[in-house]
Amino acid sequence: MKLKIDLDKCIRSGECYYNHPEIIRMQDNGDPEIIVAEISTPELKRHAEQAIEVCPAVAISLED
Amino acid sequence: MAESSPDTATENEAPGLPNEIDPREFDGEAFQHDPFPLYQRLRDHHPLFHDRFHNRWIISRYWDVDWCFQNNELFDRAVYKPDGPYKFGSTHIFGPNILEYGNSGQHRFLRNVIAGQFVGAKLNDFLPMVEQISDEVIDKFKGAGEVELVTQFSSQVPIRVISNMLGLPREDEDTFVGWYQALIAGLGFGGKYLAMGIKARNEMWDYIDPLIDERAKNPGEDLLSRIIGAELEGTSMSKEEIKGFVALLLAAGGDTTDKAIANMWYHMMYTRPDQLEDVKKDPELWTNVFTEMMRYDPVVHAQFRHTTQEVVMHDRVIPERAGVILYLGAGNRDERVFKDPDTFDIHRDDLHMGRENRSGRYKDGKPGHLGFGIGQHFCMGYAMARQEAVIACSKLVEAIDNLRPKFKDHPGIFSPSIDSGGFRSPQELWLSFDVKR
Repeated sequence: MKLKIDLDKCIRSGECYYNHPEIIRMQDNGDPEIIVAEISTPELKRHAEQAIEVCPAVAISLED
Repeated sequence: MAESSPDTATENEAPGLPNEIDPREFDGEAFQHDPFPLYQRLRDHHPLFHDRFHNRWIISRYWDVDWCFQNNELFDRAVYKPDGPYKFGSTHIFGPNILEYGNSGQHRFLRNVIAGQFVGAKLNDFLPMVEQISDEVIDKFKGAGEVELVTQFSSQVPIRVISNMLGLPREDEDTFVGWYQALIAGLGFGGKYLAMGIKARNEMWDYIDPLIDERAKNPGEDLLSRIIGAELEGTSMSKEEIKGFVALLLAAGGDTTDKAIANMWYHMMYTRPDQLEDVKKDPELWTNVFTEMMRYDPVVHAQFRHTTQEVVMHDRVIPERAGVILYLGAGNRDERVFKDPDTFDIHRDDLHMGRENRSGRYKDGKPGHLGFGIGQHFCMGYAMARQEAVIACSKLVEAIDNLRPKFKDHPGIFSPSIDSGGFRSPQELWLSFDVKR
């Protein structure tokens, strides 16, 4: 599974990378950047699902 | 290898020059009332000030404060102990609480347990309750023709909202307001108030104790049940931690919003009465009043950190484990970032208006205010505070005609002690108004 972030929807709230630095990091302009190629373990999946939940812009999704 | 800040301009600090700072100024009465002239001298002449008298380093420029927040791993919120575990809650009036968990995993856990309650859909569920509580509080004084806004309004609404979110019985709300007022006076003023605050805290804990047992058996949808039920890798919070958390929510979630509302009204009455007319025509502008208040003179002016390693700023080395104070109130007035920073203007076009971002970065390219902090320790209740303040203020204008200051002069906003984290607000704010027939 792959994590996707729609940067048009993203408002740079920062909630994803501050809560889940294991999978997402902050770029200098505040945009998020995904740092794992594949959501391959249950641990990463938990982070991905929680990141989706905390995003106020509903900009994050998990795709097969 | 020490970390280095982006701006490494050297400043001359020869002793005896006109802009030398006597650290005792920070303890003086003048600073608690009007800290802004000293902030300006810090920004212009001592962007990194080593205060040897109080044994700390002071940061005051906007982008330096931002840099410290963004590089959270260099500046720990808790007292940093490289050789052992964090020491929690031994002396704090609230007991053990999240503010003392620094950068630990426990901090992220606790934050995640409740952060979701204060944003998005969960927050929207609470808004009708905020409206109802505002109406109830206003009903009590709207026939009187005058109101002391701090005791009768601003310190009434947020605490009732929080106790509702926790699912405490509504008939006990007045008792709670009393405990809350004693607790925050204890934090703010010390001395005999501290003893009264601790007494109130103990009574409150005795009250909550059986409630925790009950909610543990029969959990509901309320915040208290959620805190009790939260688990991290099989461990949940201890009873002491839960109580500390509740006390913190009352103060952090109640007191700050309470003072934000009072500050907004102070500025509308005394700083920019002309702009109150704009707000009356367009109540949406209350969000701008909130934002500009959080820039111009926010409730919280200072944040405290300890370096986790050597940090280089402005060509000087801050040693490891040194105390650092970030002046949000000073960064917000930085003329390198905001035009006419000392003017309160709700129509300002160089400040991001509206909802804050934890990242401190906005798509409109404008800088935000620093009043909620930035990053890992960014205020958890930011969205709640904003909504609550805006609703309470709009409701008051809607219910009451011709609000005006009762007295021509006002002693102004002050903090009992900025450097002890004391909140800034007016002590009293008397307003007169026409009673609606």
